[in-house]
Amino acid sequence: MRRAIAAVVLAAALLPGCSSPAKDGAKDETKGEVKKYVIGMSQCNLGEPWRQQMNKDIEAAAAKHPEIEMIFRDAQNKSETQQSQMREFVQQKVDLIIISPKESRPLVKPVSDAMAAGIPVIVLDRKLESDHFTCFIGADNVKIGREAGKELAKQLGGKGSIVELKGLMTSIPGHERHNGFMEGIKGTQIKTIFEADCGWLEPNAQREMKSALSRFDQIDAVYGHNDPSAHGAYMAAKQEGKGRENTIKFVGIDALPEEGVRYVKKGILALTFQYPTGGGEAIDTALKILTGEKVEKTITLGTKMFNKENVEAGGVAL
Amino acid sequence: MTDAQSGGSRWNRAVTALDAYRGVAAFVVVFILGCFFTPRVHGTGLPIFLSVQTQVDILFEYCEYGLLATGMTLVVLTGGIDLSVSSVLGVSATLFALLTIGYGWGAPQAIAAVTACGLLAGSINGVLISRFRMQPFVATLAMMTAARGLAKLVSGGTKVQPAAQPWYKLTDNTPDFFTWMTQGLPGIGLQPATLLFLACILIMALVVRRTTYGRHLYAIGGNEEAARLSGLRVGRVKVLTYALCAGFAALAGVVNCCRLDLGDPEAGFTFELDAIAATVIGGTSLAGGKGGMMLTLIGVLIVAYINKILSLNAVPIAPRMMIQAAIIVAAVLIQRQRKGQT
Repeated sequence: MRRAIAAVVLAAALLPGCSSPAKDGAKDETKGEVKKYVIGMSQCNLGEPWRQQMNKDIEAAAAKHPEIEMIFRDAQNKSETQQSQMREFVQQKVDLIIISPKESRPLVKPVSDAMAAGIPVIVLDRKLESDHFTCFIGADNVKIGREAGKELAKQLGGKGSIVELKGLMTSIPGHERHNGFMEGIKGTQIKTIFEADCGWLEPNAQREMKSALSRFDQIDAVYGHNDPSAHGAYMAAKQEGKGRENTIKFVGIDALPEEGVRYVKKGILALTFQYPTGGGEAIDTALKILTGEKVEKTITLGTKMFNKENVEAGGVAL
Repeated sequence: MTDAQSGGSRWNRAVTALDAYRGVAAFVVVFILGCFFTPRVHGTGLPIFLSVQTQVDILFEYCEYGLLATGMTLVVLTGGIDLSVSSVLGVSATLFALLTIGYGWGAPQAIAAVTACGLLAGSINGVLISRFRMQPFVATLAMMTAARGLAKLVSGGTKVQPAAQPWYKLTDNTPDFFTWMTQGLPGIGLQPATLLFLACILIMALVVRRTTYGRHLYAIGGNEEAARLSGLRVGRVKVLTYALCAGFAALAGVVNCCRLDLGDPEAGFTFELDAIAATVIGGTSLAGGKGGMMLTLIGVLIVAYINKILSLNAVPIAPRMMIQAAIIVAAVLIQRQRKGQT
């Protein structure tokens, strides 16, 4: 008996130590004189670098406003968990919720429940199939793909053979990045000689690129649907040992500081286009909503292009 | 007899008496911890953990795990294990969505069909184990893989939701049954999904305690050879047990489909581990023959409450996983002590 209780206490005693940084965010602020806003943020999967960046962007933006208190939650790629996080935020009576949903359908109801409880909800990145949210902030993959196509066409002088390493083609972003790119290179003499679905993953891209390299002597450029794919293609060319990594132009998308932008700085990628997280915009919008200002129902984010010339200056907005 | 001795024996008696309530005591400890470590409602300062809504949510959020653990306990009592419950959940969720959304069936017919499929899958497990003498781990591992493949096959590789395929009957909303299952009943506050789990586990608790079948489970788990020699039809009991286990997994699939408002072929992935953990934490021995259904209910509650406390306090995933591991180790240590005593 004693040991039973001791064991459970021991296990649970880890709680306070571990939870202290997060607890600060959840602390009750009734005593404070300044009006504090508590914002709950439910991230669908913190395992992805781009989503980590989104949280970082939100944190950085929130840090500029001492009246904002953030509570971050990670749903670990489980819709069930994200549903219960929404319920917990409602219970906690936070002032505003930011959610980057894993999937639309399971979250429609929890989000409209929160709205019904009088809590405004900002939806980030993935749209919900309903009207019951305050504001949607997201980027435009078609536009990004189009800009990538146009810029690459310019750099290649309007002709050449390219390899397209696609993202997961059962997902909407994959299609949009492909369709946009096709629009961008329309009317030029650029031909796609090889394409493969790499599911956003670098190892797959590396493998597919090896096949492309062994089949074609002349490859002018590689369009990867994300930076890891473009980087994987570069590695494949380098491993081939014919120095083709220096002649092929590698183009990626996402432009995370530690990923795509760094690759451009190192001369691995010729171009990368930012897929903005909208984290900063979410906090700006949240403040507007909380202070009673009116906001647009849909906010579409722009993109930034990074190349060797402008990368140190932080890219150029398109 | 000296004073010290009599005092000692009185203490021992007290410990023995309390021993049966070990799990309850552990649960109480967890609950008290929850009262201490709770964020407060922004504005009013009331502890969130103690609100009725939180208690309702905890039960609701764990009803799939609870249903899986109910079936798992039956299997574990016989000394077996069933790894396939997670995939059976996935295939049932997909099939249920396909029948209701795709073919426009009514919910009762769809539930009947899905449960029948679950029972069939479980029977196959049972036959492989009893008739073909495969180890439960291996047989159910094969079923786990096969059922997951089946889930992907029937769904066509996508999530089953209205208008996902052009031929689906429903193109806009899911059936009303989905919402009904996951919304608190007026007056009671609990969701039908939660009530389903509670009804299943309480009925099975009675079955395990009061029926011949229940006694056979313990007999097989305690000493299978002895049970066989005393004329018990071990094979039949096992087939029934694995069938029931998968049947509960099928019901969990229905619940999961209603919760997510879609049929996900990946649903339930790794849930079997949580179901086994809840069973073991409750105090049912993986060696078989020891434990019970009410212990599993407590095990499920302990796991559910701990996870809720961690979630409410926004504990990051890294320490959370380590805390969960520590709790499993603690539970197993408690079990070993109990074995030593008897």
